[in-house]
Amino acid sequence: MSMNLIEKDRVATINPLKTCQPLGAMWAVTGISRAVPLVHGSQGCSAFVRYCLSRHFREPSEIAVTSLHEDAAVFGGRKNLVEGIQNVAIRLKPDFIGVITTCSSEIIGDDVIGFIKTAKGELKEKIGEEAVEKIKIIPISTPSFVETHLKGYDNTIKALADYVAEPSQPNEKINIIPGMVNPGDIREIKHMLRLMDIESIVLADISDPFDAPLRPSTTEYKPYYPKGGTTVDEIVDSANSVGTISLTKYAGSGALSLEKKYNVPAELGPIPIGVRNTDQFLRNLKKLTGQDIPDSILDERGLLIDSMADVASRYLFDKTVAIYGDPEITSGIARFVGELGMEPKLVLTGSKSQEFVKDIEKVAKETGAEIDTMIDQDLRSMEVYLKDNPVDLMIGGSDARLMAKENDIPLVRVGYPVYDRVGYHRRPIVGYNGGIQLMDLITNTVLEKYYEPEHWKLQQ
Amino acid sequence: MPFKLFEVSKPIPERKEHTYVKHCGDPEDCLPKCNSKTIPGSMTERGCAFAGAKGVITGAIKDVAHIVHSPVGCTAYGYGTKRYPTTTDMPDGSQFPIKDFNIKYIIGTDLQESDVVFGGMKKLRQAILDTNKEFPFVSAIYLYATCTTGLIGDDLDAVAKEMEEELGKPIIAFNAPGFAGPTQSKGHTIGNNVLFSKLVGTTEPPATTPYDINLIGEYNIDGDLWLLKDYFKEIGINVLSTFTGDCCHDEIGWMHRAKLSVVRCQRSSTYIAKMIEDKYGIPYMKTDFFSTKYCAENLKTVARFFGLEDKADELIAKKMAEVGPELEFYRKKLAGKKAFIFSGGPKSYHLSVPLQEELDMDVTGVSSMFEHEDGFEKMKSRLDEGKLVIDDPNALELEELIEDYDIDLIMGGVKEKYFVHKLGIPCLLIHSYENGPYIGFEGFVNLARDMYTAIYNPVWNMLEFEETEEPDVPNVEEEAK
Repeated sequence: MSMNLIEKDRVATINPLKTCQPLGAMWAVTGISRAVPLVHGSQGCSAFVRYCLSRHFREPSEIAVTSLHEDAAVFGGRKNLVEGIQNVAIRLKPDFIGVITTCSSEIIGDDVIGFIKTAKGELKEKIGEEAVEKIKIIPISTPSFVETHLKGYDNTIKALADYVAEPSQPNEKINIIPGMVNPGDIREIKHMLRLMDIESIVLADISDPFDAPLRPSTTEYKPYYPKGGTTVDEIVDSANSVGTISLTKYAGSGALSLEKKYNVPAELGPIPIGVRNTDQFLRNLKKLTGQDIPDSILDERGLLIDSMADVASRYLFDKTVAIYGDPEITSGIARFVGELGMEPKLVLTGSKSQEFVKDIEKVAKETGAEIDTMIDQDLRSMEVYLKDNPVDLMIGGSDARLMAKENDIPLVRVGYPVYDRVGYHRRPIVGYNGGIQLMDLITNTVLEKYYEPEHWKLQQ
Repeated sequence: MPFKLFEVSKPIPERKEHTYVKHCGDPEDCLPKCNSKTIPGSMTERGCAFAGAKGVITGAIKDVAHIVHSPVGCTAYGYGTKRYPTTTDMPDGSQFPIKDFNIKYIIGTDLQESDVVFGGMKKLRQAILDTNKEFPFVSAIYLYATCTTGLIGDDLDAVAKEMEEELGKPIIAFNAPGFAGPTQSKGHTIGNNVLFSKLVGTTEPPATTPYDINLIGEYNIDGDLWLLKDYFKEIGINVLSTFTGDCCHDEIGWMHRAKLSVVRCQRSSTYIAKMIEDKYGIPYMKTDFFSTKYCAENLKTVARFFGLEDKADELIAKKMAEVGPELEFYRKKLAGKKAFIFSGGPKSYHLSVPLQEELDMDVTGVSSMFEHEDGFEKMKSRLDEGKLVIDDPNALELEELIEDYDIDLIMGGVKEKYFVHKLGIPCLLIHSYENGPYIGFEGFVNLARDMYTAIYNPVWNMLEFEETEEPDVPNVEEEAK
């Protein structure tokens, strides 16, 4: 009936459960239509992230870099950034350039805002004032030595609210900040909004750019831009919406900024994973838009409840689970496995978030479980923990696959990164439909591992 | 005109010097400009010096704990990205406790803002102590500088020296911050220099034979090394040290006891072979083991050095009988197909001739993101008239290349693969392979099979919806005959 916070007992980070801010920024900028993330740093800062995003989504991840070298380390990166912006603008003709800082550019103290001004000035001479004004060039400060990738995502959405959004006429739309969830999740959210007859602006919508059709005859070439993504006009218009729902309370600065500057009411979280979180999401939608919750959605809810009634108590009851990953997904899943009658035994996140601790306390109360909680921890902590405290199931990303195998604990893959299985980026875990998908996955994993040896139990 | 400026690169005319079109009348030193800084704002394929040092050179060593002194990003990105499997076998016959330890763990200092302001050396010291406690069985601890530590000026060598004395275990610092040099190649150089100066000559092997070689620049991507080791064993040659696939820390220390250094990846590691020759008089030879012909030729050359040519001939005859028929099938299928080798470093010169001569393919061109002049010379010499040699190509140029040259297959990395697919043609992973190993006789069959399955994947015949009646579907069985 309680939440026990377990402190990290070493300084070394072994197999991190988080990564750096710039990745979150590159992720978010990719969700903008005809946008180019321009990383102001060393080539590794773009190469590694492109590699990681591409292997998770199995999709292109096109990111430009200003290629900082020794001379920039000594004299600053002004030349690199000014030249870089111009080359991107002229060669790639984007609608949007997100200038993303890194460890190096933050430490050398580059004046990114000033450099963007200089670059724009020089660009005007080359391609004309009108062409330059068409391109939004936005600074995104993402020092890698502060917080995690989720903060980089948050800073990017906040930069959109601060630098791009402009008030004009009310638009009756709702802004959605999805957080670092998969294309399948964003599509599921849009599906629910359609059923509720609500128009939306997704800040920013990676669902198509990171899951794009292969149709060569319709693909836009030279430069290749994936279809979809949130247009700059939509981002501008986000200041006129009836409200903003950030699916993640851990990255809601953009929503708060829109509220403060343009009186767009904000709701932060919860991520609609599981029954009660999705219920809350719908209530938030109703509150902000005045739209009723239609029967069609309640039927979807009923389908999830029906599926839970069929299997939860029979197969899942009391199974213990270790859940790890980004804070909102981890806390969302902890709550959902509780709803399924399972026991979240260990939850851990690489983020140092007190908000997460509060969320888990709430889950502990609801489920009556004893939940061991780790914040600001790494996967090694989980490995050591599991040696003395084995669980029946692990839920999280691929990075723990080897320890799952060695400890003979089945691993249900969710979140980011998942690179050793296919299709997980398409499969939603949010909403009632996502709940069904995730529950089926969990149940079948349990059946395979714990029931297969006594297969006759599965005959009816 | 031996140089080409892509249409898409017209706004940056300096790119012209980086794309050379082979013209047989040109002087030998007519090469693409290389190993120079990337033009800012490009979607370059290049990585950083840290990636070169840890990702390529040292990451394959099996009994070492790697500590990345960085904010969390560089550590996280160093985790599990390379396909360098390792066994638990140690040269003295003992067993290392964890299989694939090098793939399974990455350690970092997770530098925070306060560390950046006040310095991170204290944290690094503690991280070394923690690491030694968590993994007491490791033979050594390696430390890596990154952009951040390079900029804040943390002295990794001082920490390494101090902690080495305290723990009585080798601790080695690699000062290859990300911004050093134009490409990851700078990290290779630094890695080679450090390993040579700190290790070579410091240990003695458990046993030696008159037939000992160092296998240098072989990182065991997808098991390449294990195939090569088998070949050498069968010929009677003993691989005393590998640099650094599936090797252990001590193995590098006794590289000076080999009779010959055999260099595989010639960009990442000829450095150490040269240094060993200069200091210890051990000759080295550059080798190619991709494809049956190169593999046969080079096995013979190495065997000849030891007077074991007959054994090599036996092995080659046996292997050729095994792989010949299957390879012949793929040759027929692949003949005339246009490939572009959009690879990291040396595969561009290792693979062009085998693809052309053994599989009758048409290599439209090759590129490299981190090769130097000598490598580009080799690439040029191994291509036909009119073919392209590109330094540091970028995404836009790749698009134009695919459109203008009617290419059937790109051989690239993860960053290119899905992008190329969107343009409607197959891309095969050549940095870390699809279903390797790709080295040697069996490996070349694997490569040919992967190219065949990529090009003949039925999906490429279904890219567009056809309005009219059902078109003729190619008969795969007929074609296979």
